[in-house]
Amino acid sequence: MTGWLLTSLALQNLGRRKARSFLLIAAVAIGSGVVFTGAALMRSIDDSMAVGFTRLGADMMVVPDGTLTNITAALLTVEPTDLVLDADVLARARLASVGRSAPQKIVRVEHSGIGSHHDLVDLIGIDPARDFTVQPWLKEKLNRAFRHGDVILGAGRDAPLDSQLLIFGKPHVVYGKLGRTGVGTHERGVFMSFETFDALAAAMPLHGGARPAVLAPGKVTGFLVELAPGATALQARFAILSAIKGVKVVTGDSSLSGIRQGLAALLQGILALMVLMFASMAVMVSVLFSAIVTERRGELGLLKAIGARRAQMIGMMVIEAVIATGVGGALGVTLGVLVMRLYERSLVYYLENIGVPFVWLDLPRTVAVAAAAIVLAAAIGALGSFYPAWRASGRDAYDLVRGEG
Amino acid sequence: MLVCRQASKSYATERGVVSAVTAIDLDVPAGRFAAIIGRSGSGKSTLMAMIGGLSRPSGGTVEVDGTDVWRLSENARAAFRNEKIGYVFQFASLLPTLRLIDNVALPAMLGRRRPVPEIHTRAAGLLERLGLGAYFDAYPSEISAGEQRRVAIARALINDPALLLADEPTSDLDEQTEIEIMDELLAVNREVGTTLVLVTHNLALADQAEQIVHIANGAIVA
Ligand SMILES: Nc1ncnc2c1ncn2[C@@H]1O[C@H](COP(=O)(O)OP(=O)(O)OP(=O)(O)O)[C@@H](O)[C@H]1O
Ligand SMILES: [Mg+2]
Repeated sequence: MTGWLLTSLALQNLGRRKARSFLLIAAVAIGSGVVFTGAALMRSIDDSMAVGFTRLGADMMVVPDGTLTNITAALLTVEPTDLVLDADVLARARLASVGRSAPQKIVRVEHSGIGSHHDLVDLIGIDPARDFTVQPWLKEKLNRAFRHGDVILGAGRDAPLDSQLLIFGKPHVVYGKLGRTGVGTHERGVFMSFETFDALAAAMPLHGGARPAVLAPGKVTGFLVELAPGATALQARFAILSAIKGVKVVTGDSSLSGIRQGLAALLQGILALMVLMFASMAVMVSVLFSAIVTERRGELGLLKAIGARRAQMIGMMVIEAVIATGVGGALGVTLGVLVMRLYERSLVYYLENIGVPFVWLDLPRTVAVAAAAIVLAAAIGALGSFYPAWRASGRDAYDLVRGEG
Repeated sequence: MLVCRQASKSYATERGVVSAVTAIDLDVPAGRFAAIIGRSGSGKSTLMAMIGGLSRPSGGTVEVDGTDVWRLSENARAAFRNEKIGYVFQFASLLPTLRLIDNVALPAMLGRRRPVPEIHTRAAGLLERLGLGAYFDAYPSEISAGEQRRVAIARALINDPALLLADEPTSDLDEQTEIEIMDELLAVNREVGTTLVLVTHNLALADQAEQIVHIANGAIVA
């Protein structure tokens, strides 16, 4: 019962200096908004980087030497290119350090009948028996084996399972859909077996230019490679480069380590900033509440004189602070969510450009981060107000009433 | 009822130790009306604060209703102040954010011994009795200084204290108001039997008391 009484006293106190309360709430909102947004993005980027290599399953990629590998391509999806390799080039080399290898054919086409007229679509041929980077991502699929005429759609494409998909006028069946990976080619790709790919290649209209080399049977755009157990990336790279001419090997470490290290440093910097932000918020709340306590010492003394216990006096002040900072925290999180929604597109685009495939934090963990930010903000209010309230409440009531202490 | 033995209070200041009250012995039997008089700065408020459990004595003991006030734990003393002592300050002392009725009810609400509707009925009755029936919902800033003092008296009475301490409750008020307020305090003393200790500069008023305590320089003079 006194809990409710103290809360209503605290609320009334907050209402006394509306401008001050508002500024306090605004300051906490900005702080916790930044911290929430920062934390959510950090977790997302962290996840995305984890997706980049390990979850896609390949350790390295073997592509023709001239292939432009931008960083996105280095995230182990083969990018469309005019250069090709023989499909059996790796198998012939018989390298001990190379484990599984999955060849892929990729062609980027226009006017395919998928999406709107000018949409560029990546058609990707895989060998279902050897593939280990695409099928593990199947989120839903038909209850039968993958066969000729079937296609698998990336998460970015929308078509119901088992529906018919016309590609260059030829009917295909949507066999399955991939889960979100954040990797562009994977998200927007239309995957099919080499058989289906070759059949489609024959039907593809030529628009003046030469026929892309990859459409020829027996040619592939590149290989996704897994290291043999115990082999190091360096051994495999050396073995591949010395056995096969005209290829380059893109490994996770060499191409991404720089970015990863940079990002890790950046994330640590953000983390440090967030900690500092919270610390300065705590100091600010503490300074503000010692001033508020000083301003109200007469009233606190009066409360004490009429029999308020020390815990009740502290409780009243702490509740006031917790309400203000808690509301500030909630407001900050709301703002953070709005800002992220607002900049989602450009942010994802930007990050993918610098080579980070972006996967947003899932809902439960976003909620957890939001709750943590709000709880932290409220905790700062509690901590910042506790000490001044504790000190004041320990004084003699008469000293407080007389305006000392 | 009220027993002070060698009660003293000194303050450490930059100019050295200031002795506000020195070794006061005081006995006030239950139900009595005692007046404390003395010049400004003689230590009257300091003594009252020690009696009321608001200011810890530097030495000596204060016993109210058989309880050594300053040997109680902090929480027990808070409860004791809440239940046993009604205190009317020398200056305005209402919480500005609370309506008058809530100001009066506050000590009872903090004590949480009675149901809320009962507390409110009682608070309303006290306000009514002190002539503030029309102002239940008003805020302290909306009433005069004399009216505020009456509200403070109503608040001091809400828990039926055994000891009512009033430190110059009428010092800044006009004569007519002073008389009215004193009548209320005396009525409580007579009708309910509440022990009343009153600090006053008004000697005519002090004359009505059953016991006069004259303080000078922090000590009782004959
Ligand atoms: N916190 C303090 N620090 C230092 N000296 C103090 C303090 N409180 C009171 N005093 C001194 O103690 C003495 C007694 O003060 P007190 O307020 O008890 O007087 P009083 O009799 O109530 O006076 P008045 O009639 O003006 O209210 C004064 O000399 C005052 O200066
Ligand atoms: Mg005084």
